[in-house]
Amino acid sequence: MRRRVFLLLSVFTFLLVGLGADEFKFPLKSNSVRFAVIGDMGTGEPPQYEVGQRMVEARQGFPFDFVIMLGDNLYGGARPHDFEVKFEVPYRPLLDAGVKFYAALGNHDDPSESSYKFFNMDGESYYTFKKGNVRFFVLNSNYMDPKQTAWVETQLRDAGNSDWKICYFHHPLYSSAKFHGSSIELRQVLEPLFIKYGVDVVFAGHDHVYERVHPQHGIYYFTEGASGSLRAGNLGKSTITDKGFDADRSFMLIEIAGEEMYFQTTSRTGAIVDSGVIRRTVQTKAQ
Amino acid sequence: MRGKGQGLGPAACLLVAVFLAAGGALAGQSTASDKEQGDDAASFKEFTNRVQEYAELHRTVESNLPSLKSKEELPEVIAAHQQALARKIREARPHARPGDISTRGTREAFRHAVRSVFQGPQAANARATIKQGVPLKEIHLRVNQVYPDVDPYTTVPPSLLLKLPKLPDEVAYGVVGRDLVLLDVKADMVVDLIPEILPED
Repeated sequence: MRRRVFLLLSVFTFLLVGLGADEFKFPLKSNSVRFAVIGDMGTGEPPQYEVGQRMVEARQGFPFDFVIMLGDNLYGGARPHDFEVKFEVPYRPLLDAGVKFYAALGNHDDPSESSYKFFNMDGESYYTFKKGNVRFFVLNSNYMDPKQTAWVETQLRDAGNSDWKICYFHHPLYSSAKFHGSSIELRQVLEPLFIKYGVDVVFAGHDHVYERVHPQHGIYYFTEGASGSLRAGNLGKSTITDKGFDADRSFMLIEIAGEEMYFQTTSRTGAIVDSGVIRRTVQTKAQ
Repeated sequence: MRGKGQGLGPAACLLVAVFLAAGGALAGQSTASDKEQGDDAASFKEFTNRVQEYAELHRTVESNLPSLKSKEELPEVIAAHQQALARKIREARPHARPGDISTRGTREAFRHAVRSVFQGPQAANARATIKQGVPLKEIHLRVNQVYPDVDPYTTVPPSLLLKLPKLPDEVAYGVVGRDLVLLDVKADMVVDLIPEILPED
């Protein structure tokens, strides 16, 4: 019996090594759902533009169809000029190629951004949309009132269990960054619903770092708040971090093919800083 | 000779008196608390009526503006709509002052609600929520003022939102320093505010 346990652990370890960054490849399957993830990007500064350029380059080998935005889309105001220099110009090649952007609101965002056509929010501060076998729930974590909480529960419940459930919003429920850290109250409200209705993956920003958190109650949490802003060296030591990167800006690429979600995080300079695969039913891995 | 159970000694009498007095005080407290809750409920009802009146004004004003298509608007159109809406609402209530919606009685009810959160078991988490949302300390807003462009929005603690009256879609609560602010969401403008109701750091 003891030997059997040992063998199983060995197989598991082998799988982890087998998914190392050097060997990671997106499967690029037909009908898979492919998208990018950016957060806290709307500075209008050169690093945001450089990340935008890396995304354009990445799309040549990994043709993603849409981008999810984790909030703080426009720092310092939502005047027409802000939309231009902090969104339309840096991502112009993607917009011209027909890539759609789906935004969440951050604490620096004017609520009127929800009416902006390229953010695809349909005038709402929280909303849901579906791509292939993935249902996205976009929340307004600035203002989690009972009305929104009830909406979240209804939507998660009605979505059933066949599709992937991905939630994204601005404030992270789990974060090891020193500047903001975990949003405990928000976690108290949302996490029970996420567990009850089987949310698979959660993306957030707010802390200007990248972090992949060790699964909490079977849910994978990513913070990607460094696609424009950066707090270098801000990640603290933490037992919940599976992978962190706080040395430069970054963005994520995701492919969901059937029951597997492939992810890769790339820095502003094009270095791969994290990658892995999440299998939906079987609790596993990531390198 | 004194029989069993016959009469009470001075100490026992004192004990009984203390119990009776304490019981009376507790009953009094309970009555006061019930009364306070009743008063707060009535105040919140009044507040809700007033804020509904404001929402109706908002809807009326907005219905006279070119409609904003939610799906396909350009930044210029959004900004123009927001500015026009704010201007028209200001014109419709030029003498609006703090307390027009949150009257004196209402404010007392709000204070009780705030106190129940910031002195209750959620206090530390509620304070942390405000801190995480980048608290604004140096600005004081005025009624009919548009929310400053460059300032972020402080996150409103979910535990506080649970205790406050529900608002129509046109209006939201905001936290600015120690002030609780009522914001018109679409006009991004201050509708009313309750100053210094939130605790200090």
